[in-house]
Amino acid sequence: MTVTLRRPAVAGGPGPGHRRVRRRSNVPYLLVVPALVFYAFVVLVPTLTGAGYAFTDWAGRRGTPGFVGLDNFTELFSAPAARSALRNTLIIAVSTTVVQTLIGLALALALHSSLASRNVLRTMFFAPALLPPVIIGFLWQYILTPAGPLNDALGSVGLGGLTQNWLGDASVALASVIAVIIWQNAGLTMVIYLAGLQGVPPELHEAAAIDGAGRWQRLRNVTLPLLAPATTIALSLTLIGSLKLFDQVYVMTNGGPGYATETLSVVMYKEAFVSGRYGYSTAIALVLTMIVFAFALLQLRGLRRYEVRQ
Amino acid sequence: MTIDARSRVRRTATATLAATLTTALTACGFVNTDDSSTEDGSDDGGTVTAYVNTEQNAGLAPLVEAYQEETGTTVDISSANTDELNQQLRVQLTSGTAADLIRVSPGNSSPVAAGVLGREGELADLTDAAWTADLSDDTRALAEVDGQVLAFPVSRNAIVMAYNKQVFADAGLEVPTTWSELVAACQALADAGVTPIAAPFQGGIYFQFWVYALAATLVYPENPDIDEQLAAGETTLATNAAWGEVFARIAELRDAGFLSEGMLGLPPDQGLQSVATGESAMVLLVSAGLPQLHGYSDQGAEAFDVFALPASDDAASTHVPVAPDFLAVNGAAEDPDAALAFLEFLAQPENVEAYANEMGVLPGLDVGVSLDSATLDPIEPLLAEGRSVGYANYLWPNGDVQQTMLQSGQEWLDGAIETADLLTQMDAEYARGQS
Repeated sequence: MTVTLRRPAVAGGPGPGHRRVRRRSNVPYLLVVPALVFYAFVVLVPTLTGAGYAFTDWAGRRGTPGFVGLDNFTELFSAPAARSALRNTLIIAVSTTVVQTLIGLALALALHSSLASRNVLRTMFFAPALLPPVIIGFLWQYILTPAGPLNDALGSVGLGGLTQNWLGDASVALASVIAVIIWQNAGLTMVIYLAGLQGVPPELHEAAAIDGAGRWQRLRNVTLPLLAPATTIALSLTLIGSLKLFDQVYVMTNGGPGYATETLSVVMYKEAFVSGRYGYSTAIALVLTMIVFAFALLQLRGLRRYEVRQ
Repeated sequence: MTIDARSRVRRTATATLAATLTTALTACGFVNTDDSSTEDGSDDGGTVTAYVNTEQNAGLAPLVEAYQEETGTTVDISSANTDELNQQLRVQLTSGTAADLIRVSPGNSSPVAAGVLGREGELADLTDAAWTADLSDDTRALAEVDGQVLAFPVSRNAIVMAYNKQVFADAGLEVPTTWSELVAACQALADAGVTPIAAPFQGGIYFQFWVYALAATLVYPENPDIDEQLAAGETTLATNAAWGEVFARIAELRDAGFLSEGMLGLPPDQGLQSVATGESAMVLLVSAGLPQLHGYSDQGAEAFDVFALPASDDAASTHVPVAPDFLAVNGAAEDPDAALAFLEFLAQPENVEAYANEMGVLPGLDVGVSLDSATLDPIEPLLAEGRSVGYANYLWPNGDVQQTMLQSGQEWLDGAIETADLLTQMDAEYARGQS
């Protein structure tokens, strides 16, 4: 049976067959103007002006900065320190995105159950995501010092051989920073997946089980495809957040030892506010924006295609 | 909608638009508002605005109160920690919103240093002030730009070696006065199971103290014109033997195992605590950091003493690096005369003394001040004999040379690069700073 719904004619209004004459009013446009003016002054003008400074040698002084063309960008891609920061940024972004998403998914699957303590556990895993990144940085800086609680704990359980100078050894410092970021944000990814799991109809699992599908097959063929939208959100947020990572690195290592954990955001900050090279710093910001935009676009397009396929 | 209703909407929209534009334009400075008068009329004696760091704010507070009572002038102080202040001040100066009195760094050490701002014409000339006669040589070298005095030193800090007296006593050690004695003392401490020197080099701040302290004795007394020679390109850090010696000294201590294990991961507070607990014996720090060190011990200042870091085997050649903490008058100050008058007040000997005693620092001016605290007594003879120099980085062309030293210095400490590589990198930054 097909039911066709029709919008009822409004009493007193034009009925079917009547041509509706609408007078266009300027009032809505006028009402939008204040917001547009505000947006222009707060977002558009600073953004476009900032982009312009990327092609100058502006040092924060009065007067007109000198135009330097692409010099700032050439320096960015040729200076060893900046290249190292770019490499570190990409390493952090890729590793954080992959590992955090997998851990978040695993936690969500484990806690999407009838476990009595599931709410307590969910809260515990999500709690670090609620803390300010700076606080997290200070806490872990203390925990990871050579004589800190982590090395003490390893020593006390007979794993003294695993103790490290977590933030002071260039070969492990970047991995330590990545681990802290994942620890803080895995709970957030978990919450996104838990929300996605609420939308997976139990009937599908039941039907698959009746058809003889095991747990792994149900996960692979029922759950994961239906979690595609959640995966899109989780991956996008994690990737964008890790590409512009600043707080934890600045607090825990200040980019050190040497340049081992320096990210583009940290270099951008130092160039602007320590060295006063605002033009160069703006060029870094512009490149970082482009990288974030490109990654986000590629990822979103890929994931949307995956969602449609599923 | 009726005509009246539409009219009301239009009127409301127009009024909203007008109010928003007015607010936006006012905020952007296109509409001038007269806010120069104060409601309570308390500005009869004028107003001096000041933007200082938190340490200066603490030291100035009682003096400001006295000055306001004495003159009726209002001193309106804002403060921030030094890093934050350095970030904001540049923008404030550029936008014309900076205070009359501002805290500036010495030499060329940051984008808001006296030398940098002075050459840009951002600071008022203080040369005619009477207190300029009381500047010590090391301070004058940093306060002057092109023959003009542009900064007032509210205090000075020195880099000193603080040590745990009980640890030294237990090891039967005397205060070392030469490099050989220092190395021998380190060996004795290491043999006793104590880390001889706490080296909290995470972030690099405490590492730079070693460079400046050793350079104060090894570089400057031998060649007081080294900065002019570097600037003229007559020598470089990499080719200058004395500068090589500075890093050789640090390497000697590192290679002998006399510095904290895992030094690049050790934060400053934990380094200081290790000295307070006796786990380590010594730490090289700025005198302004002594109260923090004292705070980590139940006995307070009694548990520690200080000495000047020896760098050679001639005890008489030891010099102390000293850094002034500057205030300057904004070249575009609204009331420069009021700002100058306040500096004159601060320069009076009793006020120099009050500030130094309030903060436990060295007096900014040589006006025969007596300090309540005996903490810095061990280095007083050196200062009295003029055996002090400014920090080495202050007359480098900008802060980037120091930044390179801090970051690449960590790689050097880790053994990833050689001394020549480090100094060459610093030379490259030096050259770029001059271009």
